[in-house]
Amino acid sequence: MTNVNVLVVEDVPSESSSLVKMLLENNYEVVGVARNFKDAMTLFYNSKVDVVIIDIFLNGVPDGISFAEAINITPNASKPFVFLTSSTDRKIFERAKLTQPFSYLIKPFNELEILYAIEMAIERFYEQNEVFLGEEENTVISTEYLFIKKGKSLKKVLLNEIIYIEVEEKYCNIVTEREKFVILISLTKMLKMLDDRIFCRTHRNFIVNTHKILEIVPADNLILLSGNHKVTLSHKYKEILKKVRTLK
Amino acid sequence: MKFFITVPLVSLFFIFPTLLFSQLKTGTSVFETELKNKSDKFSDETYFHRARFFFLNKEWDSTLVYSDKHLSTSSENTELKDYSHFFRGYSFKQKKLFNESYKEFASISESFRFRDFVTLNLGEIALEQKEFKKAIQLFEVIESLDTYKLFGIRNSAIAHNLGICYLHLEEFDASESYLIKSAKKQESEGDTLLIIGAYGDIANLYYVQYKDDLAIPYFKKAYELSKKVKDFEPKRRTALNMAVVEENRKDFKAALVYRKEFEKWKDSLNDQNKIWEVAALEKQFAVRQKQKEVSLLQAENKIKIAERNGLFYSAVVLLLLLVTGIFFYKEKTKANKIITAQKEDLDELNATKDKLFSVVSHDLRSSVSALKKSNTVLLDHLEAKNLERLDHDLQTNNAIVNGAYRLLDNLLHWALLQTKQSYFEIAPLRLYPLVEQMVYNYKPLMIEKNIRFENKVSKKDRVLADQESLKLVLRNVLDNAIKFSNTNGLIQVFTANTYEGYVDLVIEDTGSGMSEETRLALLKDTAVLPKRKHKDAKGTGLGLQLCKSVIRKNNGKFNIESKPGHGTKIIVSLPKTEKND
Repeated sequence: MTNVNVLVVEDVPSESSSLVKMLLENNYEVVGVARNFKDAMTLFYNSKVDVVIIDIFLNGVPDGISFAEAINITPNASKPFVFLTSSTDRKIFERAKLTQPFSYLIKPFNELEILYAIEMAIERFYEQNEVFLGEEENTVISTEYLFIKKGKSLKKVLLNEIIYIEVEEKYCNIVTEREKFVILISLTKMLKMLDDRIFCRTHRNFIVNTHKILEIVPADNLILLSGNHKVTLSHKYKEILKKVRTLK
Repeated sequence: MKFFITVPLVSLFFIFPTLLFSQLKTGTSVFETELKNKSDKFSDETYFHRARFFFLNKEWDSTLVYSDKHLSTSSENTELKDYSHFFRGYSFKQKKLFNESYKEFASISESFRFRDFVTLNLGEIALEQKEFKKAIQLFEVIESLDTYKLFGIRNSAIAHNLGICYLHLEEFDASESYLIKSAKKQESEGDTLLIIGAYGDIANLYYVQYKDDLAIPYFKKAYELSKKVKDFEPKRRTALNMAVVEENRKDFKAALVYRKEFEKWKDSLNDQNKIWEVAALEKQFAVRQKQKEVSLLQAENKIKIAERNGLFYSAVVLLLLLVTGIFFYKEKTKANKIITAQKEDLDELNATKDKLFSVVSHDLRSSVSALKKSNTVLLDHLEAKNLERLDHDLQTNNAIVNGAYRLLDNLLHWALLQTKQSYFEIAPLRLYPLVEQMVYNYKPLMIEKNIRFENKVSKKDRVLADQESLKLVLRNVLDNAIKFSNTNGLIQVFTANTYEGYVDLVIEDTGSGMSEETRLALLKDTAVLPKRKHKDAKGTGLGLQLCKSVIRKNNGKFNIESKPGHGTKIIVSLPKTEKND
């Protein structure tokens, strides 16, 4: 489990420092603070960014929107972002709104508001609305990561690091090489969102990362995984054998 | 040299028919009455009736037209047909169209009431066409009839005609007997004109037979008689006859005298003709004059019509103008009314604004002055290095600045709301995190006052509202709740469902509450700020007014429940999202 990386695009140092302070206090990683459009582009493409917080007005011009537009039109590069602004000028908002999905925050804001805005941005960007606010779920699944709400903050887990997932009612035990934790998510959603070329169901309660399989013992209905983990292979899901074979 | 005489003879022949018709005129009344009586039963037949009317009025052309119409439309009744043919025959005869006339008379049936009259006319036509034998035959048929049976036509005329016929046939004996017979009858009847004619004819009869001695006295008698009549024609004729006679007797002097007389009468006749011509010209002139008058009148009429039309159109145009005028006047009054109402509203709003200005500036002024004082104290403590007090002073300053900031924030939003410049988008919102976020700012204040806070809003509650304006409402309401709460108080936020389709967000405190009067004043839908009761009262009322406006803009409702000394409930009702999971 690692922290979420945030890029801050804010031209006023006092504003950016208070924002950075808030983010750090809540276990976010700040990969950089950009003062203008150019810096923002450089930082965005040179670091692993999960979320961008953009002030609309950079040095008096709405370059923030231009930046959002620029990253939005690049395929596969786009990331969730939050607009910050101290004005509620309608014209600016109409333009900012075109960079869907759109979430914004009016300055001044408090810690809760910025955390909530980041969560909203991630939910909307990955089209899994109402996850962090509801009570049934606490995880958003992207193509690379699981974003998990932990306390007031968010954490992420690289999907490739997951060895297997064990389902227990509405909870899922995520087992990675380093740790083991519980998330709130339904199995159906999990199966839908995960890449089925990598994650396979082996049992009513198990989803396995096929890249982590060391050995399959059909006689014992067992699968041996890296990190010395074992999961059951039920009769119903034996098709996985073919898949593994073909992969090999 | 005697052949000269034939010329006057021929001229004499042509005189007779005219004489005969004038004779007919005298007897027509009898005939006309009879005709009228006999044909009255047919007065239903329009054309016949018309034809008869024109016939009796001697308008021959019209008679021909209507009788023809009658014949071509209804030809059932023989008697009617006979009448029509009779009218036509007579009319043609009057117009000297003898062939036509003959045809018409010939097609009259034998049983016709005026058969004898028809025969007479046929005879006259035959005479005109010089078919003397045929004429004699016809005349002999009716010769013996008396005047009554011929409806006033004297048989002397018939005898006369017979005499002329025989004369032309050169059967002088027969001619002589008839002519003398007719002359005698006419003498007894005393019609001078006819007598002149008879004498002339007798004289001619003798003259043709070279019985000059017998002829001349008749010529003379005729000449003498002609002096008594006014008509020029017999005078001229008899004078000419006398001239011819005297010439033949070689008495040229007498002949010259007669010739001259003849010339005189001829001239008279010509004069008369001239007079007639002049009269005709005059008549033409008069007709032209009349025509002119008529055209003038027509023109006048046209002008009048044009004038009338002009008047009519101008009246219509004026009416239209009037109507449009009234319409625009009404519109103007309406507009004026609206303007007046708007002016009143504006005045009221302006008054509110002025008041707001004074209250807000007063508040800001007191805040800044408090800050100034506090800063002086702070500087003093800093100089004295009284560090323990510094913290307290800064806290005070912070509180003052926060209050002033809140006021300015409200002021800004008020302005934005009025100008409608700010971004406003109604979207589904979760209430729970919003309340949490807003309360976060007030946590220090509540801790300071030792107020407990409970957010009992369900995480599932969602409403349709604009995020920023709802935040503004929450800030204000929470601010008030804290402001009016006593130390160790409790503030609860929860939701309820009172109205269908709405979620009620309730912010309840255990503070001082308010009187019913204040409550109503605050709820009143007016922009005028409630008066401050006493110096100690907090706030401008701007916050609450702003809340009401914003909630209205979000299609929500606002209500206050309060008991003095027990606390206040602020209820904000907002539309539910359709799916509330």
